[in-house]
Amino acid sequence: MDFTEKIIDATREIFETMIMVDVTPGEALSEHVSKFKFSLSAMVGFAGFKQGNLAIHVPDKVAMGLTGDFLGVEVDEINEDVQDAMGELANMLAGSLKPFIANDGGKVELSLPSVVHGEEYTLTVINKADWIIVPFSVSHGDFMVGLELKKQ
Amino acid sequence: MGKSVLIIDDSSTMRKIVNRSLRQAGLEFDTVLEAGDGLEALDILSGEKPDIILSDINMPNMDGIEFLKKKAEDASIKDIPVVMVTTEGGSEDMVEQSRSLGASGCVKKPFTADQVNDVLGPLL
Repeated sequence: MDFTEKIIDATREIFETMIMVDVTPGEALSEHVSKFKFSLSAMVGFAGFKQGNLAIHVPDKVAMGLTGDFLGVEVDEINEDVQDAMGELANMLAGSLKPFIANDGGKVELSLPSVVHGEEYTLTVINKADWIIVPFSVSHGDFMVGLELKKQ
Repeated sequence: MGKSVLIIDDSSTMRKIVNRSLRQAGLEFDTVLEAGDGLEALDILSGEKPDIILSDINMPNMDGIEFLKKKAEDASIKDIPVVMVTTEGGSEDMVEQSRSLGASGCVKKPFTADQVNDVLGPLL
């Protein structure tokens, strides 16, 4: 199954209903990105019938802007609110994609969100996995949504 | 007397997001009470009687299911309506269980202001 459209639809719906922000999707990346600078990555794992993860990778400035929109307050640092808000976005994205991932009838469960933030970090890639990374633009800047599913 | 709501979620950020969603849905509460889990909620409910309760399901110490069980045992609070707040794709079993334990409704994130209003409006 091609998840690119599913990722775009889920991201649009979540951002437009919960944050009231318009998002513009770009072309899915042809090369995997695993190194990030001054960013925050929020991830939710899939376990069970399919294994993998859903991640949202957001530069600090964009994460602060989106959290401000989400909570209706000014945010000027990467604090607990920003980490929780990005974790919640990852949680909602994973939840929206779950029915399609479990499409073949198997049971899939979601992990609690985990968040990584730093000046420079590298995320481990799952061995032998199919992956999709879709870039998006919002008024605060750009971010990416990535899906990795272990090959069966 | 003004309306009051109790929001139960282990994330203070999610409590803020839920509170903002209520305002966006045009549901203004004079008093917004917050609890980080079911235990803290029961403690608050020993003194306060809000018009409605919004509760997460997965929480440490006492989750939303256990909270519903304990609430049902207390005659002074058992009739306060509870709406569960969960995520699309979350455990359907727990949503069903919460309904069987007396939850009045469920809103699934992502939700629109209209969806919040449709579920909460008739309960207020």
